[in-house]
Amino acid sequence: MKKNISKILLLMMACIIAYLFLLPLLFMVFTSFKGVAESVTSTTLLPKEWTFENYIELFHNTDTSPVIQWLINTAIITICGTALRITTSVLAAYALARLNVAGKKIILIGLIWAMAIPEIVTYFPLFYIFKQIGGLNTYWALILPSGSGVMCIYLIYNFLIDFPKELEEAGLVEGANIFQILWHIVLPSVKPVVITQAFITFLGLYNSYLWPSLVINKNETRTITLGIAALVLGENYTNPGMMMASTVVSVIPVMIIFIFANKYIVKGFTHSGIK
Amino acid sequence: MKKKSTGLLFITPFILFFMLFWLIPFIYGIVMSLSKYSLIMGNQGFVGFSNYIKILVGDSMYHNSFLLGLKNTVIFTACTTPFLVLGSLGLALLLDRLPDKCKGIFRTIYFASYSVSVTAVAAVFVWLMKGNGGYLNNLMMNIGIIKKAVPWMEQQPFVWVSLTVATVWWTIGYNMMLFVNALNEIDPQLYEASAIDGARYWKQFRYIIFPGIKNVFYFVLMTTIIASFNVYGQPRLMTKGGPGESTKPVIMVITSTIMDRNDLGIGSAMTLLMGIVIVICSIGQYFLTKEKEELR
Repeated sequence: MKKNISKILLLMMACIIAYLFLLPLLFMVFTSFKGVAESVTSTTLLPKEWTFENYIELFHNTDTSPVIQWLINTAIITICGTALRITTSVLAAYALARLNVAGKKIILIGLIWAMAIPEIVTYFPLFYIFKQIGGLNTYWALILPSGSGVMCIYLIYNFLIDFPKELEEAGLVEGANIFQILWHIVLPSVKPVVITQAFITFLGLYNSYLWPSLVINKNETRTITLGIAALVLGENYTNPGMMMASTVVSVIPVMIIFIFANKYIVKGFTHSGIK
Repeated sequence: MKKKSTGLLFITPFILFFMLFWLIPFIYGIVMSLSKYSLIMGNQGFVGFSNYIKILVGDSMYHNSFLLGLKNTVIFTACTTPFLVLGSLGLALLLDRLPDKCKGIFRTIYFASYSVSVTAVAAVFVWLMKGNGGYLNNLMMNIGIIKKAVPWMEQQPFVWVSLTVATVWWTIGYNMMLFVNALNEIDPQLYEASAIDGARYWKQFRYIIFPGIKNVFYFVLMTTIIASFNVYGQPRLMTKGGPGESTKPVIMVITSTIMDRNDLGIGSAMTLLMGIVIVICSIGQYFLTKEKEELR
């Protein structure tokens, strides 16, 4: 009896906390359907009069908010950046874990140091280099730095080290070449950690703000995250409904992917080797 | 022999990217910090440690703004870390005691806010908390809790509250997930027998749960401090560093030194100083968890 009461109390507590977590998201969604007059004085979460005017204006006003272009830019840089990071990381991690590489020890120590040093240390010199070679406001500036994913390599490397290599050796005996082994044996076995890292990289690129804000300053080359930032900072943006409509557009793709990828990301936490 | 060349082939792409986008900028940053370097004029000569000296001692504006940024960052870290560490542990413990059927859904809800960008967080919280026309004030005035609008985004100390609430909402789920995993690894036999009334639960926590998650606890604590030290997006977008410059963190001081005052040399020196602080935190975390492992 006592046990049941405490279970119910815990469940109630969990529900209240869940409501607090969802409140900002609900506020965002519902406000985006409110008109200007209602949204600044509103005391209820749900709109009294539902309207699509915020969305219509958002997609029409392509001078201040070229949302479609922002989404296209975001798709290009997240997909290319993730593919680049995963490719370089899997190859390098495999080489470090299984093949003979000169200076392996030095590379591994370098990786650990590079993980401890915050990324911000490289941002400004890199920004200056991109500025000097005319790389500002290009996709390259957003994609190429993903190629050096130290954390990603380290985690795949750790996974491979713990993974039995008998299968690969059997493949070698049967005369498969290194690429066949990589594709048919190694890749399927590192799949869980690779999928997790792909999602984490994707989310990171989608949401990153500081680095893009340094190298992108033209409206049409912005990512969606950067675009929303420009709207938030724009002084004349005084319509909350409009602001929330643009935020909803930016959050929906990432939320869908997140809910789908949730279980892989959770797995990633177990792989990260913190025990 | 053949293996050696494939190894080289496989690692080369990464090494190339690492050199170009990490190592060279890193070394270049050190060189910049030792030179008079401007965004427009480029390198104007080696000056030794004078950039560092200007930042660390004396009465230059760089010294003052760096110290201000450091102070604000420390305040931010002190405001958020307790909630992000103890709060996330509380959430994980709560989840752990829920019926198995509901665990997944609540875990997803608590973790979902972590997936949105800092700009979305800022956009939502600015309009939730805004003093004039914000939802929270409208609501509280309507119910009658407050008579006058509270300047959540306009006046201290309320602005720290807003930044803390937004940050906690945004990132607590990540820490919670680390604790959830740690709790799952505790041997269930260890505390299966214990009952769940208050006093006993505390004992159970003290002697069974906490020792089991100690390492993760220190890890979460240090990574949270490091992440809070790197704060930029929330104050940049929610308050623009204001009111006055009271919420301007170190990274914002650095970006305005470089982008507005064109001073890459000083800016790089500030970045490296900040980097050193963070590396020290990381090393501290390493030894903190390592020592505990040996004790067991």
